[in-house]
Amino acid sequence: MKRRDAIAGVVAAAAAATAGLYRFTNLFVKHYAPTPYDDVLAQLVDREQAARLGAGIPGTLNPATLAARLRSGLKPGLAAAAEADVAAGRMTEVDGWVLPESVALLAALASRV
Amino acid sequence: MTAFIDARTLPTGTVLTPDIAIIGGGPAGISLALSLAHSKLNVLLLESGGMNFDPTIQKMYSGAQTGVPYEPLDVGRLRQLGGGTNHWGGWCRPMDEIDFERRDWVPHSGWPFSRKAMQPYYARAQDLVEAGPWSSDQKGDASNAGEGSVLPLNGGGLYTSWFQFSKMRGDILPTQFGNRYRDDLKHAANIKPLLHANVTAIRLTPGAQQVDRLDVATLTGKHFTVKPRITVLACGGIENVRLLLASNDVMPAGIGNQNDLVGRFFADNPIPRDVATLVSFAGPLAPFYGSNQTLADGTIMRATFATTAAFCRAGKVGGSLSTIEQPVELEDAGKAAVITTALALGVDASNAKAYSLGCGMELMPDPDRRLTLSGEKDALGLPRLKLEMRIADEDFARFRRTLTELGRQLLASKAGLLRINCSHREDWLKNMGWGHHHLGTTRMNDDPKQGVVNADGLVHGLGNLYIAGSSVFPSYSASNPTLNLIALTLRLGDHLKKVVA
Repeated sequence: MKRRDAIAGVVAAAAAATAGLYRFTNLFVKHYAPTPYDDVLAQLVDREQAARLGAGIPGTLNPATLAARLRSGLKPGLAAAAEADVAAGRMTEVDGWVLPESVALLAALASRV
Repeated sequence: MTAFIDARTLPTGTVLTPDIAIIGGGPAGISLALSLAHSKLNVLLLESGGMNFDPTIQKMYSGAQTGVPYEPLDVGRLRQLGGGTNHWGGWCRPMDEIDFERRDWVPHSGWPFSRKAMQPYYARAQDLVEAGPWSSDQKGDASNAGEGSVLPLNGGGLYTSWFQFSKMRGDILPTQFGNRYRDDLKHAANIKPLLHANVTAIRLTPGAQQVDRLDVATLTGKHFTVKPRITVLACGGIENVRLLLASNDVMPAGIGNQNDLVGRFFADNPIPRDVATLVSFAGPLAPFYGSNQTLADGTIMRATFATTAAFCRAGKVGGSLSTIEQPVELEDAGKAAVITTALALGVDASNAKAYSLGCGMELMPDPDRRLTLSGEKDALGLPRLKLEMRIADEDFARFRRTLTELGRQLLASKAGLLRINCSHREDWLKNMGWGHHHLGTTRMNDDPKQGVVNADGLVHGLGNLYIAGSSVFPSYSASNPTLNLIALTLRLGDHLKKVVA
């Protein structure tokens, strides 16, 4: 085997290993089991932190209801929805934190799936 | 030059006949005396204490209390020349226009005049408290407040306002009126300051139309009489009540108490600590938010978050002044709130900094928050007082709405985030401090059924007894009262000059 082929093989193997680690472990990025609400949860940049925040939200709304409420509100995107909430005074308290309602609902959803 | 007179050296039976007798040598009494200095009026300033603190004299202030935990009655005030200015913090801020208004969501609120009537006196009051060049909200803003920028709040219900501070000279605390103005009092030929002189009764003429004389005693057993043309009671929001109620030989309910108002509506400014956590996404706040800053012209300033009049009306809240206390560390859940919210808004919060927030609140007037005479008596035989202290859940609820608005504004401007740390009554009371601002007990109203004194400070029904100081404030504001009570007292000084002339 030529030296060049050997190096190429090692690089390919390393790339495959990295891809495997990326896809099948939480080493590089956290993976979540698929849910019916992934289209909504995709708005979150850091779902883990959102879930931690959402754990402080009491309430009886189930994920399906939360997602249904969020789908319509998040059409313009999370930032725009949050700004609209703030402008309209739609605030929700989570453990005392004064949050835009859409952010709080999304965090609640993240914590319940 | 008139030296201070120690009343203990006066022969028993002495009768003094000044034009004006001022009872009480605190900030109101001294300011009034100074405003009358070098006039044609003979002024007698009667102070119960001496130049220095004396625990025996101080003990005369002690009393009983029930209700919400509150400072003992002999703690929040000082019975010596200069009164409360011997231990004040020097925080100065003029009251806002809305503080003078009758607010339909604040029962019993409203002064008999607007801030315009006080405006001419604020600059002189500012001179007396030595708070530096006048630069309150109408003129000063962050542009002259030193390093850093004002937190953007996007034009909502709160805005950055300013405290100015009574000047500290070297290691001396803010202006202590007794020490600072004793020479001015001595140098005014028409002012006679009398120390260790305790007024034990205000004696009315038989028809209860005038003050006839004042009974004065010393703790050494001397007794003498003052027969003034005009008497001004300036002993503070607690002691004024005691003298009026205890002087009940002609008016059985006490002087000025024909409508059962004297002692009612007692108020203070609650100062709950750590009421909220404020996170600044961009990192540390400008230094003027967390500590006093000295400007090039010598003015000492500090920022505070004040409520706009429009928000007070729309939100039906009282006044409040929220001030940054100190940096705090966030726990994991708090970090999660900051990260999630900042990412949602598209803001970089990698340098975010958190601070605890404290507050000075305005209480709603409450007739049942009240001082009455108790059965106990002090060393001179005067009945002691009993305080029923109350604070309503609605007081906290109103301030909570203000904090929610501040949180909303921080988000609207993408400047930060707020956590409210108090939800239940016990949360608020846990870290509760008090301003030692004794307010409202001889309230001012042109209607005798609603006030003890009229708009000039004259006790209803009497021709020559006035009251000076914050006891006449009918509603209270969140601003510290000293600057404001001095401005009001200077207004009274001008009135008296006209009346006596």
